[in-house]
Amino acid sequence: MKYEMVAGLETHVELATNTKIFCGCTTQFGGEPNTHCCPICIGLPGTLPKLNEQVVNYAIRAGLATNCEIPEISKMDRKNYCYPDLPKAYQISQYDKPLCLNGYVQLSNGRKIRLTRIHIEEDAGKLIHNHGDTYVDYNRGGVPLIEIVSEPDIRSAEEAKEYVEKLQLIMKYIGVSDCRMQEGSMRCDVNISVRPQGSEELGTRTEIKNMNSITFMAKAMEYEFSRQVDIIENGGKVEQQTLRYDEATDTTSSMRGKEDANDYRYFRDPDLVTICVPREKVERIRAELPELPDQKLERYINELEIPENDAKLLVKYRKVAEFFEKASAGTKAPRTAANFIIGQIFSILENDGAKEEFDIKVSAENLNTLIKLIDDGKIKMNLAKKTLSKMLETGKAPSELIDESDMGGLDESALDELCRQAVSSNPNAVSDYKNGKTKAIKALVGFVMKNSRGKADASAAEQKLIDMIGRM
Amino acid sequence: MVTHEDILQIARLAKLSVPEEELDALTKDMGEIIEFANTINNASDDGEEFDNINNLSNVLRADEVVPSLKSEEILKNAGDSENDHFLVKKRVL
Amino acid sequence: MNTNEGRISKISSMLKNKEASCTEITKKYLSEIDKLNGELNAYVNVTPETALEAAAAVDKKIARGEELLPLEGIPMTLKDNISTKGIETTCCSKILKGYKPIYNATVWEALKAQGAVLLGKTNMDEFAMGSSCETSCFGGAKNPHNTNHVAGGSSGGVASAVGGNIAAYGLGSDTGGSIRQPASFCGIVGLKPTYGAVSRYGLIAYASSLDQIGPITTSVEDAAIVFDAISDYDPMDSTSQGKKQSAAESLKNPIKGMKIGIAREYLEGIKDDVKDAVLNAAKVYEELGAEIVYFDLPALKYALPVYYIIACAEASSNLGRYDGIRYGYKTPKYNDVNDMICKTRSEGFGKEVQRRILLGTYVLSAGYYDAYYKKAQNLRGSIVKSFRGAFEQCDVILAPTVPMTAFECGKAVSDPIETYLTDICTVPINIAGLPAVSVPCGFNSKGMPIGMQLIGNTFCEHTILNAAWQYEQSVGADIFKSAEMGVKL
Repeated sequence: MKYEMVAGLETHVELATNTKIFCGCTTQFGGEPNTHCCPICIGLPGTLPKLNEQVVNYAIRAGLATNCEIPEISKMDRKNYCYPDLPKAYQISQYDKPLCLNGYVQLSNGRKIRLTRIHIEEDAGKLIHNHGDTYVDYNRGGVPLIEIVSEPDIRSAEEAKEYVEKLQLIMKYIGVSDCRMQEGSMRCDVNISVRPQGSEELGTRTEIKNMNSITFMAKAMEYEFSRQVDIIENGGKVEQQTLRYDEATDTTSSMRGKEDANDYRYFRDPDLVTICVPREKVERIRAELPELPDQKLERYINELEIPENDAKLLVKYRKVAEFFEKASAGTKAPRTAANFIIGQIFSILENDGAKEEFDIKVSAENLNTLIKLIDDGKIKMNLAKKTLSKMLETGKAPSELIDESDMGGLDESALDELCRQAVSSNPNAVSDYKNGKTKAIKALVGFVMKNSRGKADASAAEQKLIDMIGRM
Repeated sequence: MVTHEDILQIARLAKLSVPEEELDALTKDMGEIIEFANTINNASDDGEEFDNINNLSNVLRADEVVPSLKSEEILKNAGDSENDHFLVKKRVL
Repeated sequence: MNTNEGRISKISSMLKNKEASCTEITKKYLSEIDKLNGELNAYVNVTPETALEAAAAVDKKIARGEELLPLEGIPMTLKDNISTKGIETTCCSKILKGYKPIYNATVWEALKAQGAVLLGKTNMDEFAMGSSCETSCFGGAKNPHNTNHVAGGSSGGVASAVGGNIAAYGLGSDTGGSIRQPASFCGIVGLKPTYGAVSRYGLIAYASSLDQIGPITTSVEDAAIVFDAISDYDPMDSTSQGKKQSAAESLKNPIKGMKIGIAREYLEGIKDDVKDAVLNAAKVYEELGAEIVYFDLPALKYALPVYYIIACAEASSNLGRYDGIRYGYKTPKYNDVNDMICKTRSEGFGKEVQRRILLGTYVLSAGYYDAYYKKAQNLRGSIVKSFRGAFEQCDVILAPTVPMTAFECGKAVSDPIETYLTDICTVPINIAGLPAVSVPCGFNSKGMPIGMQLIGNTFCEHTILNAAWQYEQSVGADIFKSAEMGVKL
């Protein structure tokens, strides 16, 4: 029998606010242990939380970017459980009235992954275990999170991967999170079950906790899928449990202890008041949303006539897309800017991370100037490429790198003169060409190009040289 | 009826240990208190959900950094700490 | 008839007229504490250095000829659940012994800024859970009118100190009657403000939606002065709104035509001597030109269980944080982290606190939430509405504060439900978030004080204190009679 995967994801995203969700401590990553703390975020008796307005705004923005409804009334609840990383023994979260409901994210295969909800909550502190001793650092405690909960609409590890990447990209585009999985600012819990293909029923699910790499998440899902299929095919029953994925062995194993018999006893946090979201506020935030990755991609392909694969590469990194749009603004063909970026600029950015950072010396304005010089016929592509290389090294503007005398095409008589010089100072190449080595013409063209400092039109020079040698 | 099992279960959730010898008395006490709480079962209410007492909403804070405290201050009242961390030793016998 | 003179204005004028220096007055208080605290057990932590330092600053100010603020230089006390930076704050629980907050409660910050002289921290029921002060890990505070009787609870220490005049005034907290009941037992004035009038920031929580800080004083004017001084809006507390009107300013307004309501339910199950004293007060009001109206408040019937369900649910969550890791008591021996937490809590919390944590955990747990917590919350809504309706018929509600007078020491703790019943008159006010002041209205045959409550609509502290002040003026020091001890001013 063939089986299919049924998976839903709970994705935690740390919000890029300046301060924590309920106090004024910084959310900066790192810092010496327990130095980003105050009486409120270490839960000293008598302290009270005060909700950060930006957290509410960011969560609504995230909801609108993922097609959610924003209910008018929302509230904060306490999720009670006792663990050393949770200083109040409850996490302030949202239970039955989250800020966002009923959204979706569309995959490239056209399938919509429905979102049940997005709610806001506080992060816990960090525990470090050393020879059984537990060390606690509350710097992360109280950092704002949104939890994005999907319906069990995901059918493969590939889809899960695309879904998470897509969320990541959307969150970065709308500026609510940097989604750095390696720093834990984005992490997923995966609920996964299997069922015979074609069946509509849901099987017993297991939950794989705390995945903080997309690659390993996909691996864990594949492992867990085949583990569950094996159990069922051997006549067994999948046991509902919480699992941990071990990257080293590529297996999942049961998590015990913390999850034992949990009953979170949710109730409205009496220290916080109702959150009302007026419709005008929703519309204001909607109006402020930047163009989202999907919309951008469509526009690049259809309006800017960028080939699909190139368009995808540009959209994949928010900074690249921004750079591209500035660099191509007002140029004849946006494709030129795309080609420079994907060809020349990407070649010096070694990996994904570098492309993400897009920390280059060239400003979009300078590239734009360079492209306009090409558009105006003032410089040829060849010179443009060389100039861009120098710009990437030095950060200088095109005007600092190209002589005024290099601007504009070479006039006919100057080209004639250069061709004559090429023929007279390269007798060997001329005789080679005459003897049928047609490639030798390239050496002569090269001479012309070099001595014109790239200003000559290579194909015009080649034609002139052929004519000249023919007349000899 | 509240049973020993119920008491032990809620004690586990509440992170309290109930000594064997106190279990009977506590179960009895709790039974009476819950019996007392049960009197509200007969009360009729309009089913309207209670919000907060003064119907406040949107009491929010601007996203502006306030300096944090020094870790010495943060750790001042901790029973055990080491290297600027709160510390819970594995076991103390 | 002797009028009841407030201590705050008395000390203030002594300072102003240089009859005594602030240091002299403070030393007088400290020495009386020395003499009397053994018997009253009002203070759990006396802070002479803090007090004398503050007093010296006030004396300097007087020497410079500067004007004093109303509370400047007045020796006072705080209940031991109000956070004081660097000064041990224990909630009278073993689990917080040695805990020195690293920040100040907003109320203390405000009073400190106004030149208050803190004599020390006072006794209370552990985590404010009790009605006799006897669940304190330091033992109960005694009633200054008769030390064989309790001072009441949970703010028993403040009431005992103020009643015994080893503090001019104090701040307590009231979750279900914890200011009003001990004030009533000790024959003094206790104001529980509207929920949200006074900041809770720094008040160690018992039940967050019910807790409120308020003054315990020997005169209505003193209560008004202190209320005005602590009732500003506080950005640190999301539920804070601050007062809407000064209480001291309208204190002396005439009350002719004021409608004073009496809910029939409030007179049921009340000891005769208490009931008689309250009805006598109603007569005084009639003489003052107020109109007495009777009405029914059937929603009161369920107030007590509603209160215990909500208070305990919130407490079970609020008290989860005492795990021995960041502050307070930590068990000396354990097998693993979970064992450490469970032992710390079981050894650190007293029996009553553990009982309430268990009840609270139970009513919130899966399968019981709807029947208890949710139901209680809905009923809370009904109670709020009935009070709203009542205030369409009257300006102030008159009721007993406690169905009885102060009980003898050791009589309260045995039966939990019997003890809970003593809160029957006070808890509805917290449920509805209303202001209420308890003022003395007589003595029983054994000379123990009786108190009555004046309950107001939300943010109408000025109205109830106005009514209370007029009563005080009319009955004078015969009813507002302090115990014969402590500092003679």
